[in-house]
Amino acid sequence: MSPRSDAKPEAAGFGRRVALPGRIRSFPALRIAALWESFLVAAASLRQNKLRTALTLVGIIVGVTAVISVVTIIKGLDQTVAQTFSSQGSTVFTISKRPRVITSREDFIKFNKRKDITEEDAEAIFRLCTNCWRTGVVANDGVTVKHGNQKADNVQVRAIAPTAMFDIDAVTVDIGRFWSESEGSSAHDVTVVGPDVITNLFPNQSPDRVLGQEIWAGGRPYQIIGVLTALGKIFGVSRDNRIYIPFATYKKNFGLNISRGAFSASGVLVVFIQTPTAEQLEGAEDQVRAIMRNRRGKTGRDEDDGFALESEDVFLNLYSSATSNIYIVTIGVAAISLVVGGIVVMNIMLVSVTERTKEIGIRKAVGARQKDIRTQFLIEAVMVTAIGGVVGVLTGFGVAWLIALLIGFPLLFSIWSAVLGVSMSSIVGVISGLWPAWRAAKLDPIEALRAE
Amino acid sequence: MTEATVATSQTSSDVIAKPGLPSQDGKLDVLISMRNLWKTYDMGAEKVHALHGVSFEVKRGEYLAITGPSGSGKSTLMNLIGCLDTPSQGEYWLNGKNVAEMDDDDLARIRNQEVGFVFQTFNLLARATALHNVELPLIYGGIPGAKRHEMAKQALAAVDLTDRMTHRPNELSGGQRQRVAIARALVNHPSILLADEPTGALDTATSYDIMNLFEKLYEDGNTIILVTHEHDIAARAKRIISIRDGLIEKDETVR
Repeated sequence: MSPRSDAKPEAAGFGRRVALPGRIRSFPALRIAALWESFLVAAASLRQNKLRTALTLVGIIVGVTAVISVVTIIKGLDQTVAQTFSSQGSTVFTISKRPRVITSREDFIKFNKRKDITEEDAEAIFRLCTNCWRTGVVANDGVTVKHGNQKADNVQVRAIAPTAMFDIDAVTVDIGRFWSESEGSSAHDVTVVGPDVITNLFPNQSPDRVLGQEIWAGGRPYQIIGVLTALGKIFGVSRDNRIYIPFATYKKNFGLNISRGAFSASGVLVVFIQTPTAEQLEGAEDQVRAIMRNRRGKTGRDEDDGFALESEDVFLNLYSSATSNIYIVTIGVAAISLVVGGIVVMNIMLVSVTERTKEIGIRKAVGARQKDIRTQFLIEAVMVTAIGGVVGVLTGFGVAWLIALLIGFPLLFSIWSAVLGVSMSSIVGVISGLWPAWRAAKLDPIEALRAE
Repeated sequence: MTEATVATSQTSSDVIAKPGLPSQDGKLDVLISMRNLWKTYDMGAEKVHALHGVSFEVKRGEYLAITGPSGSGKSTLMNLIGCLDTPSQGEYWLNGKNVAEMDDDDLARIRNQEVGFVFQTFNLLARATALHNVELPLIYGGIPGAKRHEMAKQALAAVDLTDRMTHRPNELSGGQRQRVAIARALVNHPSILLADEPTGALDTATSYDIMNLFEKLYEDGNTIILVTHEHDIAARAKRIISIRDGLIEKDETVR
């Protein structure tokens, strides 16, 4: 550069006071420029340290993934459960020898000593319960079903009477018909089958061709007179892999109350009772309980009924207590990993402050206030954790999707849980960024400039 | 030009004018007024007085060198002039404001608007382009984007770096880096340009260029304070204050 002592001020007069009328004196409280600068610096810093950023994020990602996947899965299950049980309706309850869920060995032994539920019990309930609307009996069994050389294992046999039991079960036929009451009571070898059975035994045949054909179950042939409308899966188990036969037919061919192993429910009778409305359910339950206790010779002092009276509530209660336990465990896992993640972020931010002491000094020298420096590091911390949150939400949805695919339930990706995940991790960012940012802001500019 | 000429010719160290007397064009003629400035560092058991009772004035448009051996207190004085630090005792009036009583954020504001720093080691942001480095004071001054770019480009043009705007510091020579730093110091049109050993990291030829640039900036009306221990660099200024043992030893107008 050549000496310019002879330069004309008009020609190259930068910084000349007299030539600069409009000096900028504004110093606004909120400076978009400074905020934007903070974003750029934070983004650049994260780009610069990709591996470090990635490692920093592990804790946050695990925490958010846990929350998002569990929330998504349970939301999906909730919907399945709600749909399934509203299809049977809260107007139905059952009387059985043992409850559906047994939690201890003592209970199991106790329940096994009880008398079996009989057709007479069902008859008595039907006769005496004024609040009841429809009553039916069901015997469940599991058999192998054959047609020609096609075979299907573990098909559920549901032997029912009367035909109103189809309504109580809330099933309908897609093709064909239900059997008539007289066909049922005279023990015809007829059956109404679920769509899975057709798929398994009659591959490559259109469903309407199977009507009138025979399938073999428990060593006897049954004529198919109807195909059920598909119900779909619940918790990965198909509800379409079943056949219905008349109760009288079952009694004739299989016999009742034949114990086939202690855990088997084969041949055990269950009485289904339906009330006209949900409001009458409780009254009906009380009546039926009284009727049954009387039949079992129980007095007011006997604690055990001698039978199990259950409505969907039992299962729903069990389900909700199970899911709330899962939620608690998840919250624990998430909390631990977020705390750990937060500590990691704080540590990295402290390193970042130390590394950039000189930069902080320069910024302070040219006019950055404490607030500006604080904001810069806070934004950086929040940016890291927010990215962790977003990644966590995505992997969480991914995990939920995978599990849903394996088990088979509808997925409900809720925006709400995504927002929750990202804001949760951002809050962790703010908390763990506060101290490092405060330290950076408090740095003495002279000391900071001296740093290397 | 008139301001600068008047200021240099009338410099006097034994008269301390009242701060804040406006000159004819409505601007303060006395830019810096230091009165009995003390800086004491508490080193645990003993107190170290880096400055004890320094008083002087700088008028607008002066070209001043502060010189002295290391440990003389000149760095402390520079930090005080540059509002990086506050005195333990005494008054420091800069452009009509008493800096001695200011808090951290006020000091940041003063540094942003009144002081332009030029450091020995340039102190540029390594990852930022020359343009962005020059924009930095404007960012913290709240200047909106378009105007900011315009001002920064002007400042870079003034130091002949128009063709290096998008380069990062590691793509520039030492002299170019120092000129970026000078552009950054000037971009906000500060009251004083405060240079701390600005040629300390440069070779002789480049030092000469940089000193010529200061000369030019002085002639354009900027107030320049040069802190150096090199006599030939100090000799380029119009007035030299020599510091020794925390006191002003000599205050002489050279030309």
